[in-house]
Amino acid sequence: MNTLFSNLFKKDWFGLLIVVFFGAIIISLLKPAFISPFNIYVLMSSISLMLLVAMSQMIIIAIGQMNLSVGAIGGLVAISFAGLMEVYNMPISLAACIGIVIGVVAGFFNGYITAKTGISAFIITLATLYIFKGINLGITEAQPFYEIPEAIRFFGNEKIIGPIPYLIIIPLIVVFLMWILMTRTKIGRYMLAYGNSIQSSELMGISSTKIVITAHVISGLLAAIGGMLVVCRLSLGTPNIGDSWLLPSFAAPVIGGALLAGGKVDVLATALGVVIVAIISQALVIFKVDPFFVQIFLGFMILFAVLVNRYREYQEENKKKIFSHE
Amino acid sequence: MNNEFCLEIKNSNKSFPGVKALDNANFKLKKGSIHALVGENGAGKSTLIKLITGVYRPDSGEILINNEETNLNSPNDAMLKGISVVHQERNLIRRFSVGENLMLNNLPKNFFNLIDYTEVSKQSKKWLKILDLNIDPETIVSDLTVAKMQLCEIAKALSMQSKILLLDEPTSSLSPQDVKNLFELLKKIVKEEGVSIVFVSHKLEEVFQICDYVTVLRDGKNACESEKIKSLDRKQLVKLMIGRDEQIVKSNKIIDDNNKKIIELENVNTYLGHKGINLFLKKGEILGLYGLVGAGRTELAKSIVGIEKILSGNLKLNSKLIKISSAKEALEKYRIGYISEDRKKEGLILMHNVLDNTGITIWSQLKKIFNFLDDSTIGKKVIPYIEKLEVKTPSNYQLTSNLSGGNQQKISVAKWLAAGTDILFIDEPTVGIDIKTKGYLHELIIDLSKSGTSIVLISSDMPEMISLADRIVVMKNFMIKGEKINNHDYKSMSSSIMEFIHD
Repeated sequence: MNTLFSNLFKKDWFGLLIVVFFGAIIISLLKPAFISPFNIYVLMSSISLMLLVAMSQMIIIAIGQMNLSVGAIGGLVAISFAGLMEVYNMPISLAACIGIVIGVVAGFFNGYITAKTGISAFIITLATLYIFKGINLGITEAQPFYEIPEAIRFFGNEKIIGPIPYLIIIPLIVVFLMWILMTRTKIGRYMLAYGNSIQSSELMGISSTKIVITAHVISGLLAAIGGMLVVCRLSLGTPNIGDSWLLPSFAAPVIGGALLAGGKVDVLATALGVVIVAIISQALVIFKVDPFFVQIFLGFMILFAVLVNRYREYQEENKKKIFSHE
Repeated sequence: MNNEFCLEIKNSNKSFPGVKALDNANFKLKKGSIHALVGENGAGKSTLIKLITGVYRPDSGEILINNEETNLNSPNDAMLKGISVVHQERNLIRRFSVGENLMLNNLPKNFFNLIDYTEVSKQSKKWLKILDLNIDPETIVSDLTVAKMQLCEIAKALSMQSKILLLDEPTSSLSPQDVKNLFELLKKIVKEEGVSIVFVSHKLEEVFQICDYVTVLRDGKNACESEKIKSLDRKQLVKLMIGRDEQIVKSNKIIDDNNKKIIELENVNTYLGHKGINLFLKKGEILGLYGLVGAGRTELAKSIVGIEKILSGNLKLNSKLIKISSAKEALEKYRIGYISEDRKKEGLILMHNVLDNTGITIWSQLKKIFNFLDDSTIGKKVIPYIEKLEVKTPSNYQLTSNLSGGNQQKISVAKWLAAGTDILFIDEPTVGIDIKTKGYLHELIIDLSKSGTSIVLISSDMPEMISLADRIVVMKNFMIKGEKINNHDYKSMSSSIMEFIHD
């Protein structure tokens, strides 16, 4: 029993689960409105969307890079999806397929240039962020698409049962598949190996080009799905979808213990990171804190999480030092 | 006769802008043998290794594997043809388990095409067993000792069905016991697994101890090719390597008992874990700090120069109590310098040029009005030292990252010479340095101490210690185990030093 607990405590996600659990209890004791069915529904909807954003960034963090264009890809796909349905009366399934293709192509573009030039993904995706955003504004002329089919509105706003939104189905499947990908598939393990050490993984015969491109393609795909889910939730396609994704996309993985240097990410902990960010944002609203403070708070949380991660690494190193002279 | 050699390099040439790195080099690896590849830094060893591992392609010449002419276009290519490298820099994925590392190229899958971790552990155990390694395959690599990591790399190479193993300076961070284990294991896999080994090392004692054949490179040419090691002795081998007889440098200075104690440590405890350290250094003395890797020598030096914290005890400079809070203060206020063992990480700024790297220690001395510095002021101070050490660089504006290891080390020494310190801590000055440069550095250290600089020399190289130090202090487990005045007699000194370590 003891070892079971000490093993659980070593996992990143377990500590976060405890934080979520007690955090939710404390907030609901102070403000019972927090556990009202409507509030839980709103919370779950925002978690659903942010899960995709976080996973999209997490897979790039896994290979030790950053994707600044996550929001721009999501936004471009969102307006394409809405636009195809409004302007060309395209069926939902076809529009969604094209949306996914756009996301995949955008991700491939990021990955291909990064892998082939060896220039840091930070710079490449900073550039593509503006390219994708520019295309978005060019298409929309900064005007939203309003004519969204009823089925889309239904999927984005109705509940399966109790307070559980339909919206959460896809993100849950994505989290499960990502968990399988990062822990049980060859390509996922190779990504982490690459994130740990590019040199070592190349010496083991792992193709860097393939790894980098695959990670960016998956990132683009997830951002695309995220963008389309936002269209469902809002029942419209506005050009500013994705603009506010950058900060939370890093917050959740980092709170989940991911190292920005690469090689260490945890899917479950990242998902719990999303939940924590959502709960805090929601709590600030319920306690009537000025919404602008939410951003300040989120910024400090990232800083705090990075410091905690750094401290834990430092502790591990020290433990080893002491261990090695005995 | 035909199948005698598993790897042959014939008449290979390779040029880089300005240098002919390999000039008609030949190399033949006999099946089931251990073959030493030796040569000075810059002799073409690393280029030859890179040909064998597919990193470079020869400009002309042939590579034969099992008598078949082969092109090796990438490291992956070489790996598929059964050539594995156990690198100086460890190439395992540190956050993965031992088992996953061993099986990474061939991960077992279950029915759903997902990785089967029970099978990973099971299959990797087989390879660990061949090496008699008692490691749980689920251990995370970063929790292993350096020696065990290296053995895991060998297991990894075997698991990839490699028949040719390249070991590049495999013993540079191992303790004598670990080296002994490693050598037994190498002999075993050569015999039982039919593996052939290319052994690259600067330590000639090891070459004689374990190798069957030797190939020497000098200036890109074969000074000797696939010679039986038994037909050579150490002196001949050194002559082949450097083209002349080796000159053994010996310090024959007498340190007067009356010489002033320049630094004294009384009952010092440090943050890094040193307990009750008592130590002194006399003016003009070379004090050797000997110990195995992990004994706490580097850590002690860093604590004294203010990089790490001293918790309690007295530190005296010229009998006055002092407190050093940073390396900057040590240098500027107390004139104490520290030459790091890790020249790439701590000693040099690789992206900067030779002049900047050498001048960095005196920037604050040279600053004129408005804090401007110009290259000619720095150059005047610094260039004599660069010349004195015979740093081989096309110009003083060359980036240090483009220089060979030996030349980098010379620059990290030159920079402290330029600083003109009174006390110098020199940490492992000759690791990975060839015999010729080693000789220069030894002479330099002795000259420095004769001119009045007091030196603390940290080295794991016993012959080096015994030829240079005036007095040797032995450390183990972050404590001082004993001290002996050096009589420069290898036999008696080494046995009393080892007694201190294994008491």
